[in-house]
Amino acid sequence: MANNNNENKVMSAREAISRFVVDGEELIIGNYTVGTCCEFVYEICRQEKKGFTLYSQSGILDVDVLVNAGCVDRLVSTYVLRSGGKKGGGAVQRAMQAGTLEWEDYTNFNYNARLVAGMHGFSFMQVFEGVMATDLFTKRGFMGEDKYRVITCPYTGKKVLTVPAVNPDTCIIHVQRADRYGNAQYWGSMGSVAAAALCSKKIIVSCEEIVEHDVIQASPHFTIIPAYRVNAVVEVPWGAHPTEVLGYYNMDRFFYGMFMQENATADGAKAWMDEWVYGCEDREAYLDHYANKFGLGMLDNIRAKAFYSTPANYGSAFTSAWDENGKERAMGITLKEMEKTMKERGMLYE
Amino acid sequence: MSKGYTLNELLVITCAKEINDYENVILGVGLPTAAGALAKALYAPHASLMMESGIIDFEPLVSLNHIADAHSCRGFSCATDLFSAFTMTYRGFVDVCFLGVGQIDKYGNLNTTCIGDYYNPTLRLPGSGGAADFISYAGHTVLTMLGGEFVEKLDYLTSPGHLTGGNSRNDSGLFPQDSGPSMLLTTKGVFRFDAETKELYLAQIHPGITVDDVRNDVPWDLKVSPELSETERPTDREIDFVRQFAPTISMGREVATELTIDSVVKRAQQRGKM
Repeated sequence: MANNNNENKVMSAREAISRFVVDGEELIIGNYTVGTCCEFVYEICRQEKKGFTLYSQSGILDVDVLVNAGCVDRLVSTYVLRSGGKKGGGAVQRAMQAGTLEWEDYTNFNYNARLVAGMHGFSFMQVFEGVMATDLFTKRGFMGEDKYRVITCPYTGKKVLTVPAVNPDTCIIHVQRADRYGNAQYWGSMGSVAAAALCSKKIIVSCEEIVEHDVIQASPHFTIIPAYRVNAVVEVPWGAHPTEVLGYYNMDRFFYGMFMQENATADGAKAWMDEWVYGCEDREAYLDHYANKFGLGMLDNIRAKAFYSTPANYGSAFTSAWDENGKERAMGITLKEMEKTMKERGMLYE
Repeated sequence: MSKGYTLNELLVITCAKEINDYENVILGVGLPTAAGALAKALYAPHASLMMESGIIDFEPLVSLNHIADAHSCRGFSCATDLFSAFTMTYRGFVDVCFLGVGQIDKYGNLNTTCIGDYYNPTLRLPGSGGAADFISYAGHTVLTMLGGEFVEKLDYLTSPGHLTGGNSRNDSGLFPQDSGPSMLLTTKGVFRFDAETKELYLAQIHPGITVDDVRNDVPWDLKVSPELSETERPTDREIDFVRQFAPTISMGREVATELTIDSVVKRAQQRGKM
């Protein structure tokens, strides 16, 4: 069932997570490699949500933080950036060694194809047959036989590799801007961002800024999620820090590097989580703490300078069927003349 | 004699020479993105640089943090999505792709998934990402291995190279004819694949490295080209470009991270913050 198209859905991150993210469900990270929905991720940890099957196309800090917090039982992903270099380390590695996390591996395309199938309402998607030569195909995790199935193409008779559709319960996603109804605009590195949101049953959006509805109407090509699909909208400036948001800020390489270093050991990860996730009740508190510790100038240094896209002209020749003399543009007659003609020709039911 | 260069600089510059003008190029994370920028600036001005995140035809101005880094350029020509970046590869529009390697066998099959048993790994590696699909369908693939290893048998076959050698890749019917890995760059040399057997052989060694140094890393009897050459010493122009464009790559990640953190701590201390 559709959500309301013109209902004000603005709320806090705390309320959005509390209302729409449910223990034990399938949770998907909407963002891919950049602009990660960090405030939503941290808030899920603070609310001690548990038992997720987590989908993340490419795990950066999102997956490690959620695994550090013990929120994730199962992971479906193509890639998780390790911490600690060759020596290993990182929350995912520790959890796998402890046997508390299972991971179903896919390639980037396979994973994305599952979302695309889901977003369009199909039950499966064809993927590239080359994967059949690899252990991705031969070694199955918790999905077993349903990780991949091979069918015969009814048109060519060739063997076709397929993956099943996925429709996760909830997508958490950060975008540049949205209106209060949930029309969410995103630009830059498109990745699988739209597909991750649109394949999901519930979508909760955080954004750098909430804009007026007419800003959205003047730039619909940036809207990747229409309002009727969205459950909650949260305005969170710096909501993706320490990852980056195009047009707003760059990656905080120092802070990201510090996370990677700390995350390489269990003790370091715990201390980092205590300080930056549990120790800050919301993003404002997190930014206060950051500014106190490192100085606000550190954030100013990574604030984006403007490089605006060239406006696209959404204008048309006229916005009324009637010209400035009150004549209909095609027939060349006034409304009065039109009504007279209708009567004369016996078109009106009296 | 040109100025001194770091190992990373030599690698970026050697890697960049695998890009020809007018090619469509998919760049993987890390060193290849710097190589792509260098190639575009110095040797292949008409090449189209692309990344799986859907960034098509970009000109990087600063070193990329990752394969979805639109902050590294001032706009780009086409913003497509990941799904389409892969289907354009499947359809044959990508000439060359660059990938990093964890483990590699003698036929250029790759493992970036795990060390040890998949179900109970000694070391979990990042995973396939885009690698398996790109090496399958790009015209050819250039491999870079910095921290990885040569093995007789992979712990996990993530990305298909020349399978069991000879004509096995073509015969499988799963891949475009004559696709697959064409070159492997390591910290010690450049390897290519024999036209008949598809086995890796040593084609070039980097200055200061001996053939025995390379053999020590390889668990099988490594074949060495009778025309073995030494990797060309980078020119000042090339070194200057890499240093200007990607100073942290010239320096190497470890030292760069160390100095970055030092600099922030010093700054905070000066302001009485820490």
